[in-house]
Amino acid sequence: MNELLEHGLNQNRRKFLSKMSLGLGGLGLGSLMVPDMFDGPNEAEIFSKILPQFSPRAKRVIYLFQNGAPSQLDLFDYKPMLQKMHGEDLPASIRNGQRLTGMTSNQTTFPLAGSRFNFSQHGSHGGWFSETIPHIAGIADDLCIVKSMYTEAINHDPALTFFQTGAQVGNRPSLGSWVSYGLGSDNKNLPAFCVLLSKGKGNGQGVYSKLWNNGFLDSIHQGVQFSSGEEPIKYLSDPPFIARSDKRAMLDEIAALNQQSYEKIGDPEIVAKIQQYELSYRMQMAVPEITSLKNEPESVVKMYGPECLVPGTYAANCLLARKLSENGVRFVQLYHQGWDGHGNLPNELIGQCKDVDQPSAALIKDLKQRGLLDETLVIWGGEFGRTNYCQGPLTKDNYGRDHHPRCFTIWMAGGGVKPGVHGETDEFGYNINSLPVHVHDFHATIMHLMGIDHETFTYKHLGRRYRLTDVSGNIINNLIA
Amino acid sequence: MSAPKWLALGRNALWILNPFLGIIAYYHQEINFGIYFQWLGKMHPMLLHFPIVLGLGIAGYYVYTRDNNKISPFLSPLLTIHSLMATIVAIFGIFLSKQGIYNHDLIFWHQWGGISIAWMSWGLMTLHEYNNSFNTNFLLRALVGFVFAGMLIFFTHKGAQLTHGSQVLSWPEEEIAKKITVNMDSTATLYERAIGPLLQQKCLSCHGPEKEKGNLLLNSPDHIQKGGKHGSILIGNNNKKAPLLERLFLPLSEEKHMPPEGKLQLTKEELSLLSYWVRSGSHLEVKMNELNQSDSLFLLAQHWMPSVPYSNRQKNIFPDLKAYNSNYCTVSYIFTGSSDIEVSFYQRNFYAHENLKRLSPIQSQIVNLNMQNMPLQEEDIAFIARCSQLQKLNLNFTQLSADQLVPLKKLTKLKSISICGLAYDEKNWPAFFENAPFDEVHLWASSLNPPQIDKIRSAYPRINFTVGDNLKNDLIKITSPIIDQDSSIIASHLDINIKHFLDGTDIRYTTDGTDPDSLSSPEFKQTLRITDHTTLKTKAFKSGWISSDVAQKTFYRSEIHPDTIYFITQPDKQYPGRGTQTLIDYQLGDQNFSNGKWLGYLDENMILVIGFHQSKKLKEARFNTLIDNASYIFPLTAIKVGGSLDGTQFKTLNEIKFPPLQKDDKNIENKSFNCPIPGEDSYKFYRFTLSNLKKLPDWHPGKNTPAWMFIDELFLN
Repeated sequence: MNELLEHGLNQNRRKFLSKMSLGLGGLGLGSLMVPDMFDGPNEAEIFSKILPQFSPRAKRVIYLFQNGAPSQLDLFDYKPMLQKMHGEDLPASIRNGQRLTGMTSNQTTFPLAGSRFNFSQHGSHGGWFSETIPHIAGIADDLCIVKSMYTEAINHDPALTFFQTGAQVGNRPSLGSWVSYGLGSDNKNLPAFCVLLSKGKGNGQGVYSKLWNNGFLDSIHQGVQFSSGEEPIKYLSDPPFIARSDKRAMLDEIAALNQQSYEKIGDPEIVAKIQQYELSYRMQMAVPEITSLKNEPESVVKMYGPECLVPGTYAANCLLARKLSENGVRFVQLYHQGWDGHGNLPNELIGQCKDVDQPSAALIKDLKQRGLLDETLVIWGGEFGRTNYCQGPLTKDNYGRDHHPRCFTIWMAGGGVKPGVHGETDEFGYNINSLPVHVHDFHATIMHLMGIDHETFTYKHLGRRYRLTDVSGNIINNLIA
Repeated sequence: MSAPKWLALGRNALWILNPFLGIIAYYHQEINFGIYFQWLGKMHPMLLHFPIVLGLGIAGYYVYTRDNNKISPFLSPLLTIHSLMATIVAIFGIFLSKQGIYNHDLIFWHQWGGISIAWMSWGLMTLHEYNNSFNTNFLLRALVGFVFAGMLIFFTHKGAQLTHGSQVLSWPEEEIAKKITVNMDSTATLYERAIGPLLQQKCLSCHGPEKEKGNLLLNSPDHIQKGGKHGSILIGNNNKKAPLLERLFLPLSEEKHMPPEGKLQLTKEELSLLSYWVRSGSHLEVKMNELNQSDSLFLLAQHWMPSVPYSNRQKNIFPDLKAYNSNYCTVSYIFTGSSDIEVSFYQRNFYAHENLKRLSPIQSQIVNLNMQNMPLQEEDIAFIARCSQLQKLNLNFTQLSADQLVPLKKLTKLKSISICGLAYDEKNWPAFFENAPFDEVHLWASSLNPPQIDKIRSAYPRINFTVGDNLKNDLIKITSPIIDQDSSIIASHLDINIKHFLDGTDIRYTTDGTDPDSLSSPEFKQTLRITDHTTLKTKAFKSGWISSDVAQKTFYRSEIHPDTIYFITQPDKQYPGRGTQTLIDYQLGDQNFSNGKWLGYLDENMILVIGFHQSKKLKEARFNTLIDNASYIFPLTAIKVGGSLDGTQFKTLNEIKFPPLQKDDKNIENKSFNCPIPGEDSYKFYRFTLSNLKKLPDWHPGKNTPAWMFIDELFLN
């Protein structure tokens, strides 16, 4: 945008009045009597005063995003019918003309593919788990399993963007950014929204920084991506021979300069910059303490699996997520790539589960044993499901599955969710039979658990008020304990 | 007499302002005012005093001035001014009313009362102007004066109650509450702890030094013993109830009930406390620690605190928490509208007891306290033990011991406590868990063994202990060590470190190609310096773990840099690398053949010539290659080297054949092939021919098709 125009927009009425107040006697008198008369709260401050709106069940979120869409039919949604009808065509009455992706729309037949894996029931609710995820099955009683999720998008990027930001197009704030904006950081030495990436060996799909973008919110609400190396936040440590006091002095001077240009130009991003410098200064002290594995007893390392010692693995990220969350980070977003099983799905799935199963379960157990699970919401799931029919050649042991947005399974734990199995799909695992949960409903429910009313929690941008759930979303009370 | 211009202007303004007032008053719930109006609203409490004073003056004038002829001509302009001010103040008041949540009844009366004053004043002005009978009837004027003054006082008092609390004009009880001293020591007497201060707060305004109603003084043990004009208050006549209790327990409506109606009453707990005290013999000297600790009398006294008058409580219930927050301490309400507060501390390096002590004004509102990892002392625990509303407490890894936690048992509302990682001593448990108020304990800590856990669980079945299930000592394979040297190429020497993320790991290594073991292989202690071609293998060992897989890395020596290289056979178009530079760029191509760092040949030998400006003697040439049989990439079968001085006639110097790949060999690895160059002669040009496998072996799915060969680096020595 034209800088001059932008400058004009930054000079809004409130700022004009507050700047003029000193010159105008009467207003000046008024501001003497009521010192904060002109410090009209900005929208963020208003929300920080009214949020949470009601007693929150979850204070923090850890979102274990399984990027690429894991096959619900090979993990949670047990369908003996598919095994019985293995190789037979999907009945047209079930598919009902629903759309397909470009990858299978040219297929002449849609042979049903029963899962290669054995399933067994676990926990007091008797939920089904495949043999690939024994550790997750071991914590069945803590899990709120939703078998009836559905979404609108059929391809990875829009579906992922939809899950993360509530809209299929980009440029909207991420779920974590909304939470950061509404509730702020509990620990002022760490970002409120942290992002950790890892990659499995399966067929992968990209993740992009737009997924943890602040959108139209202040840039301080942007997710901070931790790099997978040994130094999780790049350029955080001081160069050698710089004393901390020198650093302090330098930051003070820079802040003074920034303040000057803010007064001149009025761009709120300058204030965000000052805040970010200050945050990173405090992070220099806080981050090494948190990312260090020194204080982790060996039993914890064994629980997550020894992979957790290798930076950048999913296990290491789970352990780091626990540490960040324990230290007050509102929203920790993990992405684990490699679930996009279009072909060779069973073999890839085994590898993915080997990466993910033990650390995911360990995270729940670890939070629980520390007394943190009841205030931390953990979410595990992908952006959509996979089809019950095979993509590509079908053999007894090997098959591929295409994208399936009509139904899929996610699970949550802790933070006020009700353990159990919720919702049901039909016997083919194609359509939802009961308790459909749309992505907007899912967002509304998460917001509710965090003490936020998704309908009144808005941000005004381009002349209209935006919500995470846009104009829809219902709280699914069945999922709430 | 025509009115002056400003007066006419004012009167006209009234015709605009009053309908406006009526409309916004009636529809105020539907209207949202902007920030400027909110600011105007703040002027309301300041401006309203002018019309009150002026209005009372006018009312007084009505009552005072009997003589009809002496009514001042200024009355009408004054009423105009008054009406204008009252109207504006009322408008501002409505702006203000939008900014807060006020008592509905009070605001209803205040709002419409204020508006009626403004309109009455307007009406009176009109009467003066146009109605002569009002001007000539003193009684009517006096009546109006009284009504006007009454309305002013009544309706503005409603407003005062809005801003200053409904007890704005009641007796300043909070002043009394402030002066009350309570001795909290365990060595204090029951009288000092509770009875004395309770009587002081609830009774001394009438039975204290200032007044001495019924000849009864209650400000010292002696006076209490002595009683009043009817004798002792603690012992009843003829087996009747003690007069003190009798009076206290009478219904509020009875004339003899104490304290009299309108005074601060005793709470239920306070009534029980006094009645237990009197019935146990009304001892004035007994000490708190001499009482039976499970007696109701002790418990009631122990928990007694002076009650705070309602209006005062109202003000203190939502203190601004900004001042309590710092970078290392977060203080917030559980949610908006709740007076419950949660507090978290972060970063132990910045913790000091003062940080906690700062919270004393809001201490009684803290329900959730997170002090994990803070270096706590006994004084901190003493402070926490006084947070009477605490429900959830996190003391994980605070380095306290169980006996230091005992004071926390006082917290009757405490539901859940997390004490992970604290030092436990079997002897100390009973003192903490016996009769504890909480029913959830997070006790996960590596120092507890399963029999100990079972023992606590069975001893305190009421409490739900979370201990974690990681107590079983599974044998798990440890991760491999990490060879901390990015470069693989030795120019003169390389320093290598080997590290492991888990502390206390035994790292062993070999350089002779064998797998390290925990006995004979050297232990890695300090930086390793290598100067020659080395395959470093290393392995981690640790007790309680299965030893790790071998991590290995090969380091290549490369002393000589050729001046020119050219290909006789060109690499495949798909994998051209960066041309001849690929071979001498010191970048190894790892195991990903398509990363652009590899030269690929299909069904063809690689033939290349290197040249020097001056003749050079080479001792060996080593080619680094990739083997990935799943991708049809096979090792080379032979290297032939020739030397030449003119670049056209090459003399064969050596030819080496390599064994073919077997089915059971590693199917993906980086492997280097060395070709020694015998003899003492120097040459300007060397030609290398690397032979590719022509047909894949029978065990391979692609049998009989040609193989790929991938080369990424050439090392000359």
